[in-house]
Amino acid sequence: MMAMNNCARFIILTLSAMWLNVFFVSAGFATTSNFPLENIKFTQDQASLQRGAKIYYDVCRLCHSLKYIKYKVLQEIGFTKEQVDLLRGDIPISASLSKTSSDKMLNSQYGQVPPDLSLMAKARKHGPQYIYTLLTTYSEKEGVYENAVFPGIKMPDALNVANAIDESLKQEIKSKAKDVTEFLLWSSDPRAAVRKTIGTYVVIYFLILSVMLYFIMKRVWSRLDKEK
Amino acid sequence: MKHVISWVDKRFPLTEFVKKELTEYPTPRNLSFWWNFGSLAGIVLVLQIITGIFLAMHYSPVASLAFDSVEHIMREVNYGWLIRFMHSTGASAFFLMIFIHMARTLYYGSYRAPRELMWWTGQGLLLLLMATAFMGYLLPWGQMSYWGAQVITSLFGAVPFLGDELVIWLRGDFTVGNATLTRFFSLHYLIPFIIVGAVVIHLVALHSVRSSNPSGINLADKNNIPFHPYFTIKDIFGVSVFFAVYSYFVFFQPNLLIEADNYIPANPMQTPAHIVPEWYFLPFYAILRAIPDLVGGVIAMGVSVMIFAAMPYLDRSKIPGGARYRPFYRVMFYLFMIDVLILGYVGAHPPEGFLVILGQGATFFYFGSFALLPFLSKWEEAWLRKKGLPAEVEALLASEQVQQLDRRHSREDRRKNSTETSGDDGNE
Ligand code: HEC
Repeated sequence: MMAMNNCARFIILTLSAMWLNVFFVSAGFATTSNFPLENIKFTQDQASLQRGAKIYYDVCRLCHSLKYIKYKVLQEIGFTKEQVDLLRGDIPISASLSKTSSDKMLNSQYGQVPPDLSLMAKARKHGPQYIYTLLTTYSEKEGVYENAVFPGIKMPDALNVANAIDESLKQEIKSKAKDVTEFLLWSSDPRAAVRKTIGTYVVIYFLILSVMLYFIMKRVWSRLDKEK
Repeated sequence: MKHVISWVDKRFPLTEFVKKELTEYPTPRNLSFWWNFGSLAGIVLVLQIITGIFLAMHYSPVASLAFDSVEHIMREVNYGWLIRFMHSTGASAFFLMIFIHMARTLYYGSYRAPRELMWWTGQGLLLLLMATAFMGYLLPWGQMSYWGAQVITSLFGAVPFLGDELVIWLRGDFTVGNATLTRFFSLHYLIPFIIVGAVVIHLVALHSVRSSNPSGINLADKNNIPFHPYFTIKDIFGVSVFFAVYSYFVFFQPNLLIEADNYIPANPMQTPAHIVPEWYFLPFYAILRAIPDLVGGVIAMGVSVMIFAAMPYLDRSKIPGGARYRPFYRVMFYLFMIDVLILGYVGAHPPEGFLVILGQGATFFYFGSFALLPFLSKWEEAWLRKKGLPAEVEALLASEQVQQLDRRHSREDRRKNSTETSGDDGNE
């Protein structure tokens, strides 16, 4: 009979090999600055996503497009058709969210066109934590703005953290930053929630199937013992 | 149904083939789970081809559209995200299966006679797989895709005299661009089918020399069991476990192995902070960088991949069972595995300070292991024999001799029989 404890060894080794790979790959990154990122958790709840969408719409949209997000897709985070219609005005519902300033103006002002934000949460290492920390670590010294995560950043202090002395105002800005980051995280991967739901079933299915197959295999192989 | 089969059988050896190569195909009964990875690699190949064909239906191999079309697949195509993540995760899974499959072969010495051709076709498959993966990685047209291709194609510049011309010929342009993307796409679609062909050759070779097994000798007939149902069920079980692990990565960690930089569209004007290849190339990349000279580095990298082909000649020991009964070889095997992991770690990091020395040391050890093997294996065998082999190994060696005799007899018998039966046929 084949040694069945091999089975356990095989699974452990396969898993550890996979994790080793992961370790090597994730160890391969370097952030632009060594400033420690705020390690906050993102929940992707609808209320927060909707607040975040509004902040994007009111603040960031001035300079940043969100080209992979179409107006109609906003209904997926719980906005009603009427709310979306109100937002878009006479822009077609299948149009993407675009910035309101012209490239030319932005270019002359900031020396570049600010990047599209659709994939920003995936395009930086620890994307969401990075964006959140970026937005909340502006400071001002004698009229010169600085950012802890991205020294020399061209983007102005969009949420006005640098001058918020009042503790409650600071908290409010932080929760704004979190909401807009939640929204950008969703924008970077709108199928993440569905993916995880389906994934749970798929993984459980294969685990149960594996256990069943294991016993079938044992039974089939036991025929060999009987022969002897 | 019976009629159909017998109709076919008169014209094509269907039943005979299924019987000989599957249902009654004799397989050593002592195969461990390490023998599951070949079939797993086969399953991943099929998976990659199917998901790849569906991706190609929605993907645009044009520099200005490629990145957008991948996002289109991710967001708008029905279950496009699933197909794409299965494919991107599948590439890593493929290499993992192949590396484990190779490690098993090295550990048990399965490359030794008469399985050299299996090992060499396997080596060819590894090269084809690497080429396919490298070209596929350009297709999303992200920053890392672009700069990875730029760096790797530039390595061909190391070829004497023709170097620069060769690089332009490969890229179809002076730098990686639209021409490179279209040709990589074309080849990325083509090579997998060549791989299928090479797998068939690999399997034909397998079925003529039969599976090796942990004992390292060809087992007596009574220890071989029919492939079906014993190994069909065992392989299906392996596939199911594989899918459980694979699904976890597809559904919960699909971006783990995708560099963040690859979600930034390719930009020829801006080089990323540092260019890291995919994890499966890291050890070889580390060897490339360990040699200060470019030409030397490229040669070292090429040799580090190809040197496995020499294993049947480098390993001169006749002790069966690979590392199992060979203490020195076993230690070497594990040290080599650790060395490859160290090289992988070095390859993932910018070459600075201590890592440079570590990379060079690990490279030296990598080639040193192969260079020492002929002497070490010979010496180890002599030492083992002098010390007296364990009874188990003696028994294996003895039974191997008996079987070789048996085989010779049976082959002669068969030859006699076949001349007789062919005579009968003639009379018919
Ligand atoms: C007044 C214009 C403007 C507004 C408003 C603005 N940004 Fe920016 N943003 C920029 C510019 C300019 C850059 C490019 C910075 C650079 O590369 O130096 C940028 C860059 C970024 C980056 C990328 C940083 C990096 O690592 O490259 C993020 C993330 C970002 N903005 C998020 C936001 C968010 C979220 C908001 C809304 C709360 C916002 N921005 C509002 C102008 C703006």
